[in-house]
Amino acid sequence: MDPVVEHNTTKIPLNHQKSPSPWVIARRKFLKNKIAMIALVFLVFITVISFLAPYITTEDPAKVNIAKLMKAPSADNWLGTDNGGRDIFTRLLYGGRVSLTIGFIATLNITIIGTLIGAVAGYFGGKVDAWLMRFTDFIMVFPFLIFVIVLNAIFPKSGISALIFVISVLGWGGVARLVRSKVLSEKENDYIAAAISIGTPASKVIYKHLLPNVISTVIVQATILLASMIVFETGISFLGFGVPQTIPSWGNMISPARNPNVIQFKPWIWMPPGIVLTLTILSVNFVGEGLKDAFNPKSNR
Amino acid sequence: MLTYTLRRIAVMIPIMILLSMVVFSLAKMMPGDALSGRIDPTNSSPEYISAMKEKLGYNDPVHIQYLRWMNDILHGDFGNSFIHKMPVSQLIGLRVYNTLFLTLLALFFTYIFAFIMGMYAGKHPYTLGDNMIATYNYLGFALPSFFAGLMAIYLFALKLQWVPASGSIGTGVDVNTIAFYVSKLKHTILPALVLGMLSTAGYTQFLRNDIIESSRKDYVRTARAKGTSESIIYNKHILRNSIIPIVTFLGFDIGGLLGGAVITETIFTYPGIGSLFIDSLTNRDYSVVMTITMMLSIMTLIGNLIADLLYGVVDPRIRLD
Repeated sequence: MDPVVEHNTTKIPLNHQKSPSPWVIARRKFLKNKIAMIALVFLVFITVISFLAPYITTEDPAKVNIAKLMKAPSADNWLGTDNGGRDIFTRLLYGGRVSLTIGFIATLNITIIGTLIGAVAGYFGGKVDAWLMRFTDFIMVFPFLIFVIVLNAIFPKSGISALIFVISVLGWGGVARLVRSKVLSEKENDYIAAAISIGTPASKVIYKHLLPNVISTVIVQATILLASMIVFETGISFLGFGVPQTIPSWGNMISPARNPNVIQFKPWIWMPPGIVLTLTILSVNFVGEGLKDAFNPKSNR
Repeated sequence: MLTYTLRRIAVMIPIMILLSMVVFSLAKMMPGDALSGRIDPTNSSPEYISAMKEKLGYNDPVHIQYLRWMNDILHGDFGNSFIHKMPVSQLIGLRVYNTLFLTLLALFFTYIFAFIMGMYAGKHPYTLGDNMIATYNYLGFALPSFFAGLMAIYLFALKLQWVPASGSIGTGVDVNTIAFYVSKLKHTILPALVLGMLSTAGYTQFLRNDIIESSRKDYVRTARAKGTSESIIYNKHILRNSIIPIVTFLGFDIGGLLGGAVITETIFTYPGIGSLFIDSLTNRDYSVVMTITMMLSIMTLIGNLIADLLYGVVDPRIRLD
């Protein structure tokens, strides 16, 4: 019975084998998750073929062709043509490019703004926190859909970048709140106190110590955001207040269905973009779910 | 609780004032006369416009215009709609019942289905039924409301012809007869189902997870040890605790009662607040647009307030101070 010796013998092999980092564990778990992997592959596939659209099809997505108005699917036009005689398949690819770009960039903007504001509010606390959070509350009171539509009506013909700008400016409230609450609990840890005590500047504490520990939550939140941003863009484009009608987007492609003749007798015009959109959102959600599981140390699936 | 409520309302007032300033600025930026809707936009003669501007006080300093506008609003005067040729307040009054009927019916569906599915899935987790409900939830999360609405119209209204595809009332039906209410219900049931069934997913998932979590708690073990029957454990002990978080959602639901159906109403051409908003934008009837914007913002604010207050009411462990 010599505890010192016993302690030494168990310690030596531990030093040799480094235990996997949380990121490695998360990656392993994610790779093992079949549904999430299938969803990720599908998502990458949709993104790649959308962005390679000019190489996949030679048709013009915007040029009106009066000779081929609303033709049913055929060998020439795999998914038929729309009310402007344009090939649906071609527009599906180009539309995906627009819808996904808006989704990705808006999500990125919102995540960055929200994380920054949430982290600053949570870390500094006190007056800074109170004012930033009041501002966040204020931003979150605006009914999102209504204000984006109104702003778009005031500045018509402003295009895609203006739409992304408006969405980003109005949308970061949720992320800021989430990051703040995570930072509030994380900063109580001793390692933060240690970092501060040796004189680490605040920006470095936030960037090097706090953010790596809240980033998994932010990533999961970002997937949820991505799904809702794509739905949002298609929704307002469908209503006619989003992407300008001349540019194909999945929302714009569905909007002819507001015409009773099209919805009843020409389902090939509005169903394909709707189905692709739904499948895309579905796979974004599955990837998000997979990431959430992968980052959760309690789940052993 | 009372002091918290009062303080919470006091915090709301500056936010409401700021909000009104934002809406006012947006209205000033809008083309035409979005503040009162009294300048005829079809009359483009410069003399007429400048005369009307002078008459309505648009040449006064901005803060005076703002105060006058606020004063009008507080007296229930939201300006006129030139398309519908009537005061905006009256126009909204005509539409508001349609929207309330639709959204309340949708909310009813949401809660009923969420309770049935959530309780079943929570009681029998990881079974076939639970997996089917989970599949439904994934679809509910992923289906955009406008595509779901279009599919519902295509299937149930156009192909199967069970219900009408648009509007809120059939033609030639007398008000306040049985046929009137039947027709109204027939027109509303499909948009309400689409609206309600899609938001069911979140509630179902939440209720299921909460029931599973509760079923592992000590008080449930105690109840089992006493020999309480499973159905009483689930329907009484667990359900009472799992309803708590659901109730707080109700606040947000109330906030969304008027503005939550913009897209659905537009698809079904259902004459409510949401479709009025979109139609007014298309017709450049900006006084109506701004009034609805203001109204929906205030509804959101009130919804948040109710959610916060309910939070404290249903769970005494949460201390509000």
